[in-house]
Amino acid sequence: MKWYEKIGAGLFEPDRSVSSGEKIFFKFFELFVVVYTIKFSWEWAIYTQLRNVEVVRPLGIANYLDVSLLFHYNLSLILAGLITVLIALCFFRKGPKWLYMVVLVFFHLLHVTRYSQGEIPHSQNLIGMSVFCLAIGTWFFPGKNNMPRFVMGSIIFFIGLGYTSAFFSKLIGTGINWYDGRHLWLWISEKSIDILSREGVYQPNILQQMILGSTGFASLILLFGWLTELIGFTMWWKKIRPYTTTLLIAMHFGITLTMNIRFDAFVMQLVLVGYPWYKIIDRHIKTAPSFVERWI
Amino acid sequence: MKFSEMHRSMKIIGIILIIYAVLVATHEGEFWPFSIYPMFSQAGNPWTRAMVLDVTEADDEAYWHSQTLDNKAGSPVALRNFGVDQIDYSNFMTQTENWTPERRDALRAMFGSHRIGDQHLLAAKVHGEIVGEDSVVVRIEPFLLITADSVYKNPLLDETHYYNEPD
Repeated sequence: MKWYEKIGAGLFEPDRSVSSGEKIFFKFFELFVVVYTIKFSWEWAIYTQLRNVEVVRPLGIANYLDVSLLFHYNLSLILAGLITVLIALCFFRKGPKWLYMVVLVFFHLLHVTRYSQGEIPHSQNLIGMSVFCLAIGTWFFPGKNNMPRFVMGSIIFFIGLGYTSAFFSKLIGTGINWYDGRHLWLWISEKSIDILSREGVYQPNILQQMILGSTGFASLILLFGWLTELIGFTMWWKKIRPYTTTLLIAMHFGITLTMNIRFDAFVMQLVLVGYPWYKIIDRHIKTAPSFVERWI
Repeated sequence: MKFSEMHRSMKIIGIILIIYAVLVATHEGEFWPFSIYPMFSQAGNPWTRAMVLDVTEADDEAYWHSQTLDNKAGSPVALRNFGVDQIDYSNFMTQTENWTPERRDALRAMFGSHRIGDQHLLAAKVHGEIVGEDSVVVRIEPFLLITADSVYKNPLLDETHYYNEPD
């Protein structure tokens, strides 16, 4: 078996047929993505309508389109409405098989419109990547035997790639001394200003106080997070995946506690894709309901 | 999934990877949802954020001077109460290169004249850096004063602070 076949076997498990539990879990996961897509769309549209006044930093397609047009005439709200209707059709497999791709383009457009104000957030990237993988899956792998495997496998591939890529971004951007604890002091002080600015008050928690009291402890925390990112790609292999996922979730809790950055959708999605939940469903349900079969 | 479909899946992922790489390489690492995830990649550099102080009751001679977190001219304003995203506000303050009258008005519009009311809001940049071996120093630089009908520049700062290419 060639190296890429080993990766493919870990991601897509061609030696195992698609079980009922897998189909039910896949549809539940898709519902999770659909709900978050609708939630983000409306949050971005409402904020854009109320607050965006000028494009400060164009991202993605905003480099080629003047997205400030969407700040007016309720256009961002109309776009959110369109995404809501279209993704509901996609969920029930109504319409052409490339419809998810249309949702992705609109979702991208709304994202770059909302985030044209200078901020480059990453907390919604996993939901965006999931819509992307659903778009590719429904277009190129329609049907219940291939679609769940392709979608879940490709999402896991890009999650693993993203973490390992983040490790190398740090290595290239700073060098091997990236984990110097004083760097964490700087970030904690930076985030404390954001909290002070948002809430009007800020008080460091116990972990932050411990980090600010010891460079050694701060360095250890950074080193753990950095090495966890490095091994992100090991998610590609089925047997290692739950352990890597657990470390990644621990890392995200660490980031939340040290830098007050929350990753709700990100962590929930890691919990969903990182563990073989279908095995539990298979223990209790032998046949997937007909509506699940129909909607895959 | 059959082995042939697995091969097809890997081929499609390979094609996506090429598109991914081209898009992020030509768009400074970001083409949502594609990203090289560069957050926190440059460690140890001095940072600049922004905050707002309520100086309605303060002495107007004093609040234009540089301040520290322990010695501020007014209490921090919770941007959440104005419905403003603090990251957006911070980026607006730190990434604007030319503070034209239109740009200053856009900042006032972000808060909303009706919500500002009688308050005098001091929009400040906040700078942080490592000093020596083991300390982080944070300095508050008053930048603009926002009232319901105007935005004033800090008279103690010269024009180079407000314009990248002054006339």
